[in-house]
Amino acid sequence: MSVDLNILIGGAAGQGVHAITMPLAKALMRQGCWVLAVQSYESRIRGGHLFNKVRLSDRRLISSREGVDLLVALNQETVTLHQGEVSSRGLIIYDASEVKELPGGIPHLALNPEELLPGATGKAEIAANAGACGAVLGLLRAPLAPTVELLKETFADKGAEVVEWNVKAATRGYDLGKALAFDDSLAQITPPPDPRLLISGHEAMALGALAGGLQFISGYPMTPWTSLLNAVAQRAPRYNVVVEQAEDEIAAINLAIGASYTGARSLTGTSGGGFCLMTEALGLASMTETPLVIVVSGRPGPSTGLPTRTAQGDLSFVLSAGQDDFPRAVLAPGTPAQGFALTARALNLADRYQMPVFLLTDQYFADTQFTHLPGEFPEVEVDRAITTGPSSGTYERYAYTEDGVSPRRLPGFGPELVVADSDEHTPDGHLTEDLQVRVKMHDKRLRKLKTMVPEMGGITTAGDPDAGLTLVCWGSSLGPVQEAVERLQAEKTPARMVHLSDLWPFPQDAVAAALQGTKKLVVAEMNAVGQFHRLLRQETGLKADHLVLKYDGAPFTPEYILGNLSNIA
Amino acid sequence: MLPIELYEGVESAWCPGCGNFVMLKAFKQALGELDLRPQDILVVSGIGQSSKFPHYLACNTFNGIHGRTLPVGTGARLANPELKVVCVAGDGDCYGEGGNHLLAAFRRNVDLSLVVHNNQVYALTKGQASPTTDPGQKTTLQPQGVPYQPLMALALAVSQGCSWVARGSATDPGHLKELYKQAMAHKGFALLEVLQPCVTFNRVNTYQWYRERVYRVEETPDYDPENELWAYQKAKEWGARIPTGVIYRHPRPILEEAHPALAAGPLVRQQPNRPIDQLLADYL
Repeated sequence: MSVDLNILIGGAAGQGVHAITMPLAKALMRQGCWVLAVQSYESRIRGGHLFNKVRLSDRRLISSREGVDLLVALNQETVTLHQGEVSSRGLIIYDASEVKELPGGIPHLALNPEELLPGATGKAEIAANAGACGAVLGLLRAPLAPTVELLKETFADKGAEVVEWNVKAATRGYDLGKALAFDDSLAQITPPPDPRLLISGHEAMALGALAGGLQFISGYPMTPWTSLLNAVAQRAPRYNVVVEQAEDEIAAINLAIGASYTGARSLTGTSGGGFCLMTEALGLASMTETPLVIVVSGRPGPSTGLPTRTAQGDLSFVLSAGQDDFPRAVLAPGTPAQGFALTARALNLADRYQMPVFLLTDQYFADTQFTHLPGEFPEVEVDRAITTGPSSGTYERYAYTEDGVSPRRLPGFGPELVVADSDEHTPDGHLTEDLQVRVKMHDKRLRKLKTMVPEMGGITTAGDPDAGLTLVCWGSSLGPVQEAVERLQAEKTPARMVHLSDLWPFPQDAVAAALQGTKKLVVAEMNAVGQFHRLLRQETGLKADHLVLKYDGAPFTPEYILGNLSNIA
Repeated sequence: MLPIELYEGVESAWCPGCGNFVMLKAFKQALGELDLRPQDILVVSGIGQSSKFPHYLACNTFNGIHGRTLPVGTGARLANPELKVVCVAGDGDCYGEGGNHLLAAFRRNVDLSLVVHNNQVYALTKGQASPTTDPGQKTTLQPQGVPYQPLMALALAVSQGCSWVARGSATDPGHLKELYKQAMAHKGFALLEVLQPCVTFNRVNTYQWYRERVYRVEETPDYDPENELWAYQKAKEWGARIPTGVIYRHPRPILEEAHPALAAGPLVRQQPNRPIDQLLADYL
């Protein structure tokens, strides 16, 4: 029997929603479920409403979906806001000390902190959290032991007493859950022979950066970019990475440029307004031909916008940011495994072509936990493309070359002096007012993009390759669009997905080939005007028959996409 | 001792008589006396007349954008502490556009020298007030006179525990050369502000004006640059008498020592090795 369950765990910030989601999700993943966990949170430390949606199945999951089968409510607001989403087979598990009003007609399980942890005054949150965790497992007939192990790991640094309370509450909750009847059971799902991974987009990118030889990272904290900076920082002492918290985003990018000029593999990143501050130095990186990887993690704008929500609204900006024309590359991963590979590749591209390379993500991609197989994270190649050894004649940092790429040397590695300049410059790096040199040098830089095009591809397809209905998407929209296509296919509506992760320089030929045979072209993306659609039109002349757009800050779901296709599919 | 011809750069575009020429020569002499080969030096600059400085030298050069000299130099130095890094900026570049980076540099204490060419005017843009122009001075943009109080950068540096603070003057080249040497030899962030007459756009703060006012602080009886309060008084002194020399010294650990990644040598000489299975272990 196939299982596809959505568990929503909600409460106020500070109630421990995240603290129990991760042990639960991970335990279920280890138990053999495919797990996908989405975070929704507000820009505040305490209070407000936040929730995690954990989807489980015995089949591979690539997307979140709508609907709630188990509503775990740590406060009244969670019930009030989400009761309408509870499915016909659904059930509510709630903290009876917080939740006083329940909707009629939905079965429920009350958890009383005082009963779960008798006498442990002031520990109501632990009782409710761990108790709910246990109750979910009991209800689903899943073993408790793996979760107990994870609770022990998670709370080890809070002391033996806290661990004991968690285990006790989880065990009692488990018994309460087990006593109830529920349609779905995980009893038949068994741990996989080889372990799987539960990993978020930004965590996977941090690993890709490390595998790809990252040595220097600088940044200023800003949601949702911060999670990538944190993930690298936690591993920095072990892997000899210099992490610099910058005084502002302008410093962040200039620090990374300085480190990269000198020869360290460098990455910086930001979100929203932080990237506005970086744009001047973006041109500096391209003008000085300094390799640099820049992560821009999207959230709805303009200005401060919705700081903790998701959007794909920065594509046009990233493609054109900065004065005049200069080469840059733009990549956007669709899954954590793609994020891992693309980050390592971005570091290579930056070194090979001596230009800024963007990685575009967003809050949904950054924070969502996906289940992956370790084999989907293969060894990566590290290509520094640095010239060493004695030079013949005077070294010119910006020597004119056919492919636009000049031999790059590092300062301090020989008598060759490395002269870099933000002014227009002669091949030896010194500033010039010679207008002919300007044209030659500008052409040389732009030539690098043409040289790079054959390396661009990054197309993922799904569905029926001969279908006339094609849904085109990019970056983090991969999962919801792919599931929408799979559901269309299951309903005997032929459809296919064409997903792009390599956005600039635009892989025209590869895209044209992938779209061949399309009768109805749909572009789905998370912004209000269809920024990628504009790019597609600009580069291929193709015009979509229909756009599926979403810009309310909540992620795409297959249901949303299908609902917006009803007139066309 | 290396000959100064070793540091000959491209032809200069500065005005004849510019204080920058005095500084350039003193700097080359200092490099030679410190036996620094061109390949061992990185001079980072931003935008302004002073930022052309590294082009007129033979050394590794990163001429970046306005105000951002310090973060580029800091990144470069953290990646390769084998390089002698000197950041060159103007008063507008460093005290105006890049002010936040100066504050961060005091805190970081990375081992590099910052030389601020202070001509008390914006010369590249032809004569507007800089953060150090004296109040009341008439400029192209302030025909009624500058209404702002000047930034007392050295006092700010002392107040923030900057590890080495000095002032030199283009009117005293021998002294300036020694200050360059001391700044580069200092372990930690060294701020050297140099009074640099602009012969075209600043007709107030001329060679003569500076000559009448500057004195060497080390000639003050018993002067101790590690005495913070005394240093602060000297850093605030501006007017009839202007102190030059090492005003403040506050030895403290450098940023490079705080980064465990650098214990294994310069990043640029390391060969990172991160096995995939080890990376993935946390997520199983």
